[in-house]
Amino acid sequence: MKVVIAGFGTVGQGIAEVIGMRQELFSKSFGQQVKIVGAFDSSTIVKNARGLDPVELVRRKASTGTVGTRKVDGGVKELIEEYDFDTLIETTPTNILDAEPGYTHIMAALGSGKNVITSNKGPLALRFRELSKAAARNKVQLRYEASVGGAMPVINLSRELLRGEEIFSLRGILNGTCNFILNRMKDEGLPFEQALREAQEMGIAERDPSYDIDGVDSACKLAILANAIFGKDVTYNDVIRTGIRNITEDAIALAGEQNKVIRLIGEINKDRLEVSPRMVPNGHPLAIGGTLNIVQLLTDLAGEVTVVGRGAGRMETASAILSDLLAILSEDRAKGR
Amino acid sequence: MKVNVDLRLKDIPGQLVGALEPISANDGNIRGVVHHHDDRVGGRIAVNVTFEVRSEHALNKILEVWRKREVDVAKIDSFFETFPIQYLIVGSIPTKELESITKALESMENVAFIEVRYTGSANSSSRAALVTGKASKKETIASLDQFFKQRSEKHDYILIRGLD
Ligand SMILES: NC(=O)c1ccc[n+]([C@@H]2O[C@H](COP(=O)([O-])OP(=O)(O)OC[C@H]3O[C@@H](n4cnc5c(N)ncnc54)[C@H](OP(=O)(O)O)[C@@H]3O)[C@@H](O)[C@H]2O)c1
Repeated sequence: MKVVIAGFGTVGQGIAEVIGMRQELFSKSFGQQVKIVGAFDSSTIVKNARGLDPVELVRRKASTGTVGTRKVDGGVKELIEEYDFDTLIETTPTNILDAEPGYTHIMAALGSGKNVITSNKGPLALRFRELSKAAARNKVQLRYEASVGGAMPVINLSRELLRGEEIFSLRGILNGTCNFILNRMKDEGLPFEQALREAQEMGIAERDPSYDIDGVDSACKLAILANAIFGKDVTYNDVIRTGIRNITEDAIALAGEQNKVIRLIGEINKDRLEVSPRMVPNGHPLAIGGTLNIVQLLTDLAGEVTVVGRGAGRMETASAILSDLLAILSEDRAKGR
Repeated sequence: MKVNVDLRLKDIPGQLVGALEPISANDGNIRGVVHHHDDRVGGRIAVNVTFEVRSEHALNKILEVWRKREVDVAKIDSFFETFPIQYLIVGSIPTKELESITKALESMENVAFIEVRYTGSANSSSRAALVTGKASKKETIASLDQFFKQRSEKHDYILIRGLD
C-alpha cells in the first residue's frame, strides 16, 4: 500500500515512525509493505514513488523545520488527485471555522478514489455527512479513530465490535487538559488561573488555551461521535457547550462536601448533545483524574461499556491511525484487492 | 412504592407460595426473594422479600392477608423511589435570587425536599450555590433541568448539573 502524509507535525511524524516500525507486521499479516510515497507540510513537499525513509523524513523535519526540499506551490490538491497512491493520512491542524485545509485534502483524495485516514477534527465536526457520502460514492474508506480520544478506541469499538448493539447513550471526558486543570483545582485547592498556568508550564495546555477550556475541542469530538456512532447529522455548532473557565474553588469545594468532583462531560442521548461541567460522584468511572480520556456507552445487550485511554500524544495518536490503516488493509484483503 | 419485608414462615410446604401470592394478587411486582435457611426463629424460616406496589392501600391489603395466613412480618421498610436533585450554580448570584429559587422549588409538585448551601458574599461575582434534594418523579427532574437552564441563561451564571 502506498500512502501520502498531509501535515508533518506531531501526529504526521508519529505515524511516519510507526509505519517504519511495523513493516514486519504488514508483511506477515498482509504480504505487503506500507510505503510512504509522499509527505508535505505547510511549505514543502517530498515525493518518491519507490518509498521514502520515515526516519530520514523525521530527521530532516527536526533539523530543517521542513519535511521536503521542494516548495509546495498551491498544488497540493492536484498532487492528491493525480499522484499514484492508495491512502491519504491527513494530519493538518484542526480548523473549526471552515475545516480547511483538511476538507480540501480529504475531498480531493476521496474524489479520486483514495482511502483517507485522518486525525483532523475540523472537517469531521463541520462536514461529516458530505465526507462520508463522498467516501461511499467513490467506494473508498474514510476512517478517523484518531480524531476522538487519541489512543482510546471508541469509534472502531462502537462501529465494529459493538455493531450488533443498540447504543442508547454516551457520556465521557474528551479533553485531558480540562480534566487535569479540574483535578489540580480539587487536589491542591488551586484557583483556576493557577491550575491553568501549571498545565501550560507542563505543556499540557496550549499558550492560547481557549480551544480546550471553552469546551471547543470536546464539542468537536462529541459532534464526531454523534455522527459516527449515533448516525446523527450534526456539526460542532449543534453542540450545546459550556467550558470550565468560570469554575471557582468554591464550586469545587461545595461539590467536594457532597463527595463529588466537577468534570467536563460530553453527553449524547436522544434529547441531548452537550458539553458541560457536571458533578460526578467520587468513585464513579467518570471521576477519573489526570489527563486520560474516558467514554461510557450504554448499550441494550452489553449494558455499560467503558473505554479509557490516552487522549493525545505523538505515539498514542499514531496508534489510532495505525489501527485504521490495518482495518483498510484487512478490508482490501477481504475484497481480494 | 418499593417495600422490603422480613417474613417468618412456618417450616411446612406451601408457606412461601402462600406468602408471595397476595403480592401478585394486588398487582405487586416481586423484585427479590432471599431465604435465610440458617436463620430459624422459633421454628420459623426467615425470608426477605423486596417488591413494588402501586399504593399504600395495596400494601395494606397484602399485610392483611399475611395476618390472616399467620405470616409473621418481623420488619418492614417501605420507601418511595426518589430521584436526586443536584445543581451547582456559579456566578454573580444575589441572595434574593437564591431565595427566589428556593421558593420556586418548594412550590413545585413532587419535590420532596431541597437544601441550598452557598459560599461567597452576596456581591461577589463568583458565588457558588449548591441545591440538593429529592424528587418523587423522574419528570420533575426534567422540569428542574429546564428551570435551572432558563434561570442560568437569564441571569448569566454557570450551571453544573449532577450526573444522573
Ligand atoms: N497532537 C495530538 O496528540 C493529537 C491527537 C488527536 C488529534 N490531533 C489532531 O491531529 C492534527 C495534527 O495535530 P498535530 O499535533 O500533529 O499538529 P501540529 O504539530 O501543529 O502539525 C500540523 C502539521 O500540519 C502542517 N500544515 C499546516 N497547514 C498546512 C497546510 N495548509 N498544508 C499542509 N500542511 C499544513 C504543519 O506544517 P508546518 O510543520 O510547516 O507548520 C504541521 O506539519 C490536528 O488536526 C489535531 O487536532 C492531534
